[in-house]
Amino acid sequence: MSVRNLQRRDEVGASRGVAKWMSILAFAAMAIVACGSGTSTPSSGAAQGNDLFNPSNFNTANISWLSANQNASGSPVMGGTLQIEGSTDLSAAADPQAEYETIGFTLERAYTRQLLSYPASTNLTKAETAVPDAAASMPTVSADGLTYTFTLRPGLMWNTNPPRAVTSRDFKRGVLRNCDPTLAPNGNPGYYIATIAGFRAFCTAFEAANPGESPAARAATINNANVSGIQTPNDTTIVFTLTQPATDFNNIIALPFASAAPAEYLTYTPLAPGNILYSDGPYAITTYNVGHQIILTRNASWAQSTDPLRHQYVNEIDVKVDLAGSAAATQVQQDLSAGTADLEWNTNVPPADIRGLESPSWSRQLGVFPAPGTTNPYLVFNVQSPNSSGALGNIKVRQALEYAIDKVAINKIYGGASLNEPLNQVIAPGAEGYVPFNDYPTSGNQGDPAKCKSLLKAAGYPNGITLKDYYRNSGNHPAVFQEVQSDFAKCGVTVVGTPIATGYYGSSGIGVTTPNGLKAGHWDITEPGWVPDWFGPTNGRATLPDIFDGALSFPGSDWGGYDNPAVDALVAQAESATTISAAAALWHQADLQVMKDAPFIPFETSLTPLFRSARVHNAVFIPFSEYYDITQVWLSA
Amino acid sequence: MTLSAVDVARPPAPSEEPAVKGIEGRTPLQLVVARLRTDRVALASVVVILLIVALAIAAPLIAAITGHGPSQTNVDSGTDANGQPLPPGTAGYLLGTDNLGRDILVRIAFGARISLLVGVLATAIATIVGVVVGLFAGYFGGWLDTLLARLMDVVLSFPYVLFAIVLVSVFGSSLPLTILVIAFFSFAAIGRIVRGQALSQREKEYVEASHSLGAGNLRIMFVDILPNLVAPVIVLATLLIPAAIIFEATLSFLGLGVQPPTPSWGNMLSDAEGVGFQAWWFYIFPMLFLLATTLAFNLLGDAVRDALDPRTERLFAGRRKNKPA
Repeated sequence: MSVRNLQRRDEVGASRGVAKWMSILAFAAMAIVACGSGTSTPSSGAAQGNDLFNPSNFNTANISWLSANQNASGSPVMGGTLQIEGSTDLSAAADPQAEYETIGFTLERAYTRQLLSYPASTNLTKAETAVPDAAASMPTVSADGLTYTFTLRPGLMWNTNPPRAVTSRDFKRGVLRNCDPTLAPNGNPGYYIATIAGFRAFCTAFEAANPGESPAARAATINNANVSGIQTPNDTTIVFTLTQPATDFNNIIALPFASAAPAEYLTYTPLAPGNILYSDGPYAITTYNVGHQIILTRNASWAQSTDPLRHQYVNEIDVKVDLAGSAAATQVQQDLSAGTADLEWNTNVPPADIRGLESPSWSRQLGVFPAPGTTNPYLVFNVQSPNSSGALGNIKVRQALEYAIDKVAINKIYGGASLNEPLNQVIAPGAEGYVPFNDYPTSGNQGDPAKCKSLLKAAGYPNGITLKDYYRNSGNHPAVFQEVQSDFAKCGVTVVGTPIATGYYGSSGIGVTTPNGLKAGHWDITEPGWVPDWFGPTNGRATLPDIFDGALSFPGSDWGGYDNPAVDALVAQAESATTISAAAALWHQADLQVMKDAPFIPFETSLTPLFRSARVHNAVFIPFSEYYDITQVWLSA
Repeated sequence: MTLSAVDVARPPAPSEEPAVKGIEGRTPLQLVVARLRTDRVALASVVVILLIVALAIAAPLIAAITGHGPSQTNVDSGTDANGQPLPPGTAGYLLGTDNLGRDILVRIAFGARISLLVGVLATAIATIVGVVVGLFAGYFGGWLDTLLARLMDVVLSFPYVLFAIVLVSVFGSSLPLTILVIAFFSFAAIGRIVRGQALSQREKEYVEASHSLGAGNLRIMFVDILPNLVAPVIVLATLLIPAAIIFEATLSFLGLGVQPPTPSWGNMLSDAEGVGFQAWWFYIFPMLFLLATTLAFNLLGDAVRDALDPRTERLFAGRRKNKPA
């Protein structure tokens, strides 16, 4: 997962007369702040008193995490407009084969269907387990684990004019569309390339096509595709044949990238402004004012009887996406508290507000939710950088720097111990293959600069090194950069920072488009983040390979260019393991090897604090989109 | 009746005349200083400016006394359990801490260095460039005047924030770049005033006289005309300093100026954005110092303008008359 991970944490000769006006404004501002601010008393720390990061505690009865602020009281009320607000628009025009952010996944829940998907459940195990959505039942899997046969449930309809039935060919078309040269850089066709027979050749060729080619040419490529691993013997049956068994294929097919796509999507160039998006879900996008507002209204073609996962309670879902900059999180929080908005869009509860909402008593409108396996942020080394005589290519240098970071300080930047826990490995608690270990222990996870310094000296750098840090210039990232700079300075390492606009970070910032791009050494270290694309006991493929498998197609999320054939081999074995336990053991081995090589420094794993307005009922958190399922919500009468 | 010799008044002989004290002439500078000394607002402004300068000079001393550096993060002990800043009065932190546990007093002191350095240096550069451009434009006239005047018009109408964004994206942000950007967008204001004055002065007789004595153009511009422009230039420069300070704070607030961890009052206000409602000190103190500094320079500039204007002599005379003996 690329942009999704990088964007969850938000994650900005006057004349004498002007100066005087500024003075007046400054006085007014002081008065307003002084009158409006509360006192600040030191917090007593975590209010919940539970070990949030022990996977066995995810469903304890002390506090049911997923129902913390559900508000399921009363019967569903039909009607009303759900108001959602935030500060960033979708990055891929709401196209299901391109949207790769949590906000995109959140909205797609309302207007797209997949063969399988995740139920909205306050039981985390159920919430992480794929169940039938457009498919009538779980797939029939052949004895060798290579063939998955899905049968569509009857009554699925597009909101075309007139309404038209959704067919198996629509789902095939959706998977094939992932390889469109315009869509592929935004989405992740890699999961399908790695699993479906015959898909690699098709996808490689299609991705290499001219992004400027006509819709007719794209349509011909897709309509004439002969991919042996995707067959549609009739309108209601689709058969996938895999190259090797995959314990996580159900998760892969449950991704929004595998949403059905109507034939109309082949009549225009993807991502072009004004493209009409059709819906087979309970809502349809009826207004999309780019950069400002997205409005969804009820889809008359959808029937509750055909959808076991979603509902159609509210009349309209109104998403405002144009709140300004770095103060947006604070403004959204105020609006939710005041009831002028119902849910957050891309922001979380600001850490400064958490204390007031946790004590003296836990606010019924606040929920704190796990995203098991999240590692956000982390520090990655450009192991191909030539700077400082190629120091980062030296494993002993990287291992020395593993001791530098005060991870408790990083936790505090993101709200403290009640929301964050230091992480010392690739696979985080709750993810497949998690077995706790720490190759670079420091007292209290607060770093050991003396050890870092001595190891650097032993590695041949007694006078330290200088590193260039590309950091995002919004949210908590400037603070993270300064903490990294400060911690490395204690180790004798000078860090010079370059701020990068968040919108450019993953592309022209740290991303490179040529195989030797990293060797230019524009940056040495950077701090991205990773949220798994799915959760649960089969999500090993959703983290480690994407960020540390050097064999994956270039460019990818292996930002620092790390590649160890031993890790690649373990990944390949884990992905083709026939049992979950075998796969988990292999993922753990891969984790051990990566940490030994030290291509990155993990910082923390975190909970997601979300707030809802008082009139929102049935706010169920679904890990799949790391947010509430907006199709479960009803509003107070 | 005859007048006695005693009764008739007669003028005293020169040797008998009492000594008359001569009226001592004062230079224009002495006049200006004398006028400023009667202006209590000007005196207060000077005091404030001197205090800010002293704070800036003493910044390393303050850091040494408190034991807190300006850039070293201190999240573990300088923030509470939730990572929030500590309030003023917390042991060891007179003005509280920021979001990374750094001492706000120390950062304000080091931020004063940035503000004063940028304000004074950018103003100096802008003044020099503005005077030269304005003198050339006003003195020579013709196509040179047209060219330079239009250049100044373009600079004055250019959106400086957009320009700063472009420059930062190309060259990366830095203190020298910040100073140059501010100077670039400030020179035109001075240049236009100097141009107007030069246009007027070049028609004066003394210029004609210099010509007739064989003086070259450069000599006339910089030796004959320029001294007559010193007064307005000084006033403009004094008023430009607070504008430059605000300009720097604005750029740093937007992330285009001084980069973290170097403290600047502007980037301190930017850092405070996310936590300011709970940690008011994070906003208030940088804002107060910024306000005090710019207000002091503005008021001093007003006072210098009044002191240099001979038409305000009556005002100062009145002040001197009312001053208790």
